[in-house]
Amino acid sequence: MKSIIKNSLAVLFALFSLIQASASSHREAPLIADDPLADNVDVYAFRSPDRPNTITLIATYVPLQLPQGGPNYYSFGENIRYEIHVDNDPSRPGDEIIYRVEFKMINEDPSTFFNIRLGKRNQKLVYNLYRSYNGGASFGLILANAPVAPTNIGKRSIESPIGLNKPYDQVSNQTISNSSTGERVFCGPVDDPFFVDLGGAFDLGDLPRQNGQAKDGLACKNTSAIVLQIPINYLRKRPFSTYRGILDPNYVIGVWASASRKKVRTLGTGTETHSGDWVQVSRLGMPLTNEVVIPVGFKDYWNSITPYQELADQTLDGFFYNPELALYMDDALFGAAVPGFSKLRIQRNSLGAFDFGNGKNGLFALKGTAAVAGTALDDAIFGTLLLPGPGKPRSVDLWPIFHTGVPNFPPYQLATGKNGNPLAPGKPFINNFLPNGGDMLRLNMAVPATPRNSPDFSPLGIINAAVRGLTQAPYNTNTNIQFIPNMDGFPNGRRLEDDVTRIELQAVAGVTLAAIGLWYDDFNGSTPLTQDLLDVLTYTTGVESNDKPFRSTFPYVALPHAGDGDCGGPVAAANRAEEYGTSLIGVSSNVVANTNAPNVVADNYPNPFSSNTTIRYKVEKTTDVNISVFDRAGKLLNTLVNETQDSGTYDLRFEGQGLPAGLYFARITTDGGKSVQVLKLSKQ
Amino acid sequence: MNFKTFSFKLLMPILFAAMALGARASSHREAPLIANDPLADNTDVYAFRSPDNPNTVTLIACYIPTELPFGGPNFNTFGENIRYEVHVDNNAALAGDEIIYRFTFSRTNQDPTTFFSIRLGQINAKTTYKCERTVNGGASWQTIIENGVVPPPNIGTRSIESGVGLGTTYNALMMSAITTSITGEKVFCGPVDDPFFVDLGGVFDLGNLPRQGGAQPRDGIGMFNCHAIAIQVPISTLLKTGAPSAPTSILDGDYVIGVWASASRRTTRTLQNGVYNETGNWVQVSRLGMPLTNEVVIPIGYKDYWNAITPYQELADQLLDGFFYNPELALYMDDAIFGGAVPAFGPLRIQRNSLGAFDFGYEKNGLYSLKGTAAVAGTALDDAIFGTLLLPGPGKARSVDLWPIFHTGVPNFPPYQLATGKNGNPLAVGKPFINNFLPNGGDMLRLNMATPITPRNDPAFSSEGIIAAAVAGLTQAPYNTSTALEFIPNMDGFPNGRRLEDDVTRIELQAVAGVALAAIGLWYDDFNGTNPVSQDLIDVLTYNTGVDKNDKVFQASFPYMAAPWSGTESN
Repeated sequence: MKSIIKNSLAVLFALFSLIQASASSHREAPLIADDPLADNVDVYAFRSPDRPNTITLIATYVPLQLPQGGPNYYSFGENIRYEIHVDNDPSRPGDEIIYRVEFKMINEDPSTFFNIRLGKRNQKLVYNLYRSYNGGASFGLILANAPVAPTNIGKRSIESPIGLNKPYDQVSNQTISNSSTGERVFCGPVDDPFFVDLGGAFDLGDLPRQNGQAKDGLACKNTSAIVLQIPINYLRKRPFSTYRGILDPNYVIGVWASASRKKVRTLGTGTETHSGDWVQVSRLGMPLTNEVVIPVGFKDYWNSITPYQELADQTLDGFFYNPELALYMDDALFGAAVPGFSKLRIQRNSLGAFDFGNGKNGLFALKGTAAVAGTALDDAIFGTLLLPGPGKPRSVDLWPIFHTGVPNFPPYQLATGKNGNPLAPGKPFINNFLPNGGDMLRLNMAVPATPRNSPDFSPLGIINAAVRGLTQAPYNTNTNIQFIPNMDGFPNGRRLEDDVTRIELQAVAGVTLAAIGLWYDDFNGSTPLTQDLLDVLTYTTGVESNDKPFRSTFPYVALPHAGDGDCGGPVAAANRAEEYGTSLIGVSSNVVANTNAPNVVADNYPNPFSSNTTIRYKVEKTTDVNISVFDRAGKLLNTLVNETQDSGTYDLRFEGQGLPAGLYFARITTDGGKSVQVLKLSKQ
Repeated sequence: MNFKTFSFKLLMPILFAAMALGARASSHREAPLIANDPLADNTDVYAFRSPDNPNTVTLIACYIPTELPFGGPNFNTFGENIRYEVHVDNNAALAGDEIIYRFTFSRTNQDPTTFFSIRLGQINAKTTYKCERTVNGGASWQTIIENGVVPPPNIGTRSIESGVGLGTTYNALMMSAITTSITGEKVFCGPVDDPFFVDLGGVFDLGNLPRQGGAQPRDGIGMFNCHAIAIQVPISTLLKTGAPSAPTSILDGDYVIGVWASASRRTTRTLQNGVYNETGNWVQVSRLGMPLTNEVVIPIGYKDYWNAITPYQELADQLLDGFFYNPELALYMDDAIFGGAVPAFGPLRIQRNSLGAFDFGYEKNGLYSLKGTAAVAGTALDDAIFGTLLLPGPGKARSVDLWPIFHTGVPNFPPYQLATGKNGNPLAVGKPFINNFLPNGGDMLRLNMATPITPRNDPAFSSEGIIAAAVAGLTQAPYNTSTALEFIPNMDGFPNGRRLEDDVTRIELQAVAGVALAAIGLWYDDFNGTNPVSQDLIDVLTYNTGVDKNDKVFQASFPYMAAPWSGTESN
């Protein structure tokens, strides 16, 4: 078995070298921060828990949408190509599969400044979904003019009859579409599924906050999601090969998303025209890459290239070999300057031999030695990618996690069964190896899904699986391949629940190295579960889960926060004392309180109606009653009653024959004031 | 009356000049295109006499809506390749602006090796600016500030105060960024707490303002920042050429300025591997004068177009006028139309039968039946004096109040005087309360710089602005005992300029509900011939949106706005 793996890897890597190759992100790079519509926010890829023969891919765009952000609410943009890319075969250049979404916007009622009014929507979006199976050489239209749910503005705009007259979940779920080729598709506004203490993190790494409470900066914010549910067989590498178990290397896909604009934008008088070739302006694969790994001077460039172009770029690699974050997890460097990270300390002297501090050599001393022969660190097998030179300590963990995925091959197996030698075969825990050299979210689709309601489910993903494989029976009693809960978690794909900020910070602190037996400095030869390891494992950012529960079925993400709800801004301080109270009363001797309490309560049924509806109303005490029906333009159609009536319940029939479908208003005037009942006439 | 003749003579040449030229906000994410270009998005304009420096006027233009204080790692700042401009018109007889302040910004990364915005005393996206000024309508420009400093974002105490950050206080950063130009203006450009306040979530949910059913009002802009350009200018600099160096009265017509702000980008943007090249002529992509115009008056189909033209181009556009003659909001303040569908506006009801004669309902005639009659002879509604702008035709109900408030300002001339002393005839001479008349036909914030300042700590200070002054002039002694021109507190408030405190959302909704008509004697329908303070008027005056002040306290001195929310303190 070992030799099979070895051979297949060798072949992959040989091809890989021939080709000559080498995030969650909200406002992550300077240019794209100013172009929110084309700004990738996050990418997720996981086996659908309720439909395990499918994979769900999610790409979110347009960061930090305020639920109350009217009058022109946020949405996908026109003249932008939103794409989700899949690589399933590194021996072939570029993507294999591309899904492309293009949106069109229409105003159903340009005469209002409201976004939704009387059943009409402005800035209403529809989209076309295209698919390429040949790396972009040709695209087929697989879903045309599909609907996008409106912004969840508030109850009046959504639920009431003067709005859309439907609850938001129904409005949103009705936009789930099926493509002609069998994908399930949702494009629309959702609660941003990401969670992180933005304010703390970017205040020089105050994560968790040392003074003050942690706060989810993305709580109460929405985003725009493209969600695709795709049969695994559509995504598998071709030609199909025999299934080889839960870490089958032929089931690995690499996923990334992008947004492109046309090269030239020309402004006119209140217009924009777009021309020229398409240019990529944003991309995202692994969470947080361009947010906290790539420094500001390279972020815009990073956004503009493809993952495949990264392989030729040596500069970017340097940010993974010696990441900036590692400076703050090392007492010899800036560790003391970032107390939030004090539990995160990198191995500076692992096993008394290996220094993974920035600028140090990591495992480079082993290069070419007998110790690494037959492992992934053997140049004869994997080439020089993993030990490219001295002074690149994290070339063996962070670089491959972001650029190739991790093979099920020594040393990338858990320390379980290694008998103290990290380079020996151990317990398999991951294989998302797809060595194309670029930043992607890599998922092994053969790994079973951990049920979301299982007590074993953990947002720590692979780190949780590793801990179980090292410490928990039956997993730590043998080196067999077996399913360990959360082997389907980040960085093996990414589930909505995965706490990627914490996992990545732990990875920068060397937790992966520890998992494969490169223990922390305080390892005394007996138990590897040392204080340093416990510190890293128990580190938390203070924000560990999303502010809204996810849904158990497609599209899984939560419905967007409503503009009229608790997320629409802080509660206003009490109003000022009424300015006019005294002056007005001083002049006016006959100011009479007008209670405006309705004397009549009315309803009508059915509503909507197709031919006629009955208005039932109750008169509390004798009053003049006038009930008149108007159309939307305010034209009086009929006065149904105009007389003095005693208390009691009355029924009035309103005939809709001869009237166009639409909304009508019954205005009820009594001694106590006026009220309006909306009658909705729908024609078959 | 001497006074009348004087005004008449004064107005005539101005109006003829305006006609000879062929004529005729607060906005956050207000139009489709600009909502997607936040850096170039005007959010608000303010103009007021500086309370602590009354020989100056403070002009403020805010940009970049709803900035999240914790919106890292690339926090908002002014954009490069954008011209931010504050325009001033002080003479309607001369075409276009007289004075323009232009700001252009540059960003540099002091430490491109980090993803943090501030580290070890270094600032990324550090922003500086150049301020240029023209006082001849753009014929020539002078650079009055080089390398002005924009304070960094208020990221948090570690980034600002600690030794691994900048080792200072945010207040010190803000104060040290105030610069005096070579021509004497005090200037501040930088992030501030957004001084505007409104229940965004309520208002755009089909006008649920104040929220009904016991729901608590929320300040949709609470705890957000914006980027402000604040300029404190000597009144003498802004004054029309030839105007007396001291005002002849507190409503001196020569002391009126119109202020608007804009952002322009170059025609062509070309993308290339992580670089944007911007070339070609400058094109205006956003503008703002009066608050909320493009947010709630102009409907969606025209918002982008509105942003692209200048106020001076509006006069030739008849279509936009229609949205003021018959505003959409009025549909929701009228029981005969959609009033019942917007219960929150229940207290706001327009005059449909004022004085038993005048209907200001949607597409009704308003005062049009008076056109050409003896009743309007000698008033502002007399075609011989003001031309046909105020009574342009039938079916244009609000041509006499909303249209001029947004397009010309309001003259101190009948019928635009308070009902006090009119003895029941709205067209008669009454109590003066405003003169911000600058008839260039376009959307601007018009301020009479001669009007004295109401101290912010005066018990009479009111965020209701001119409405508070009008109520006092109608109901309060000594103001309501004579028609003499005198200072009434809050005559210096919106729409006579705009102070930071002014509750413009409430004032504008009250104006749509006809409160300006009532102030001049066109009472509400329930006026019984004796007491004009009828229930309908009380309903309008006591209407409140639920959010009537800012979430932070303003500062007593320049730049007056509050320091920006910090990324670690805000919600």
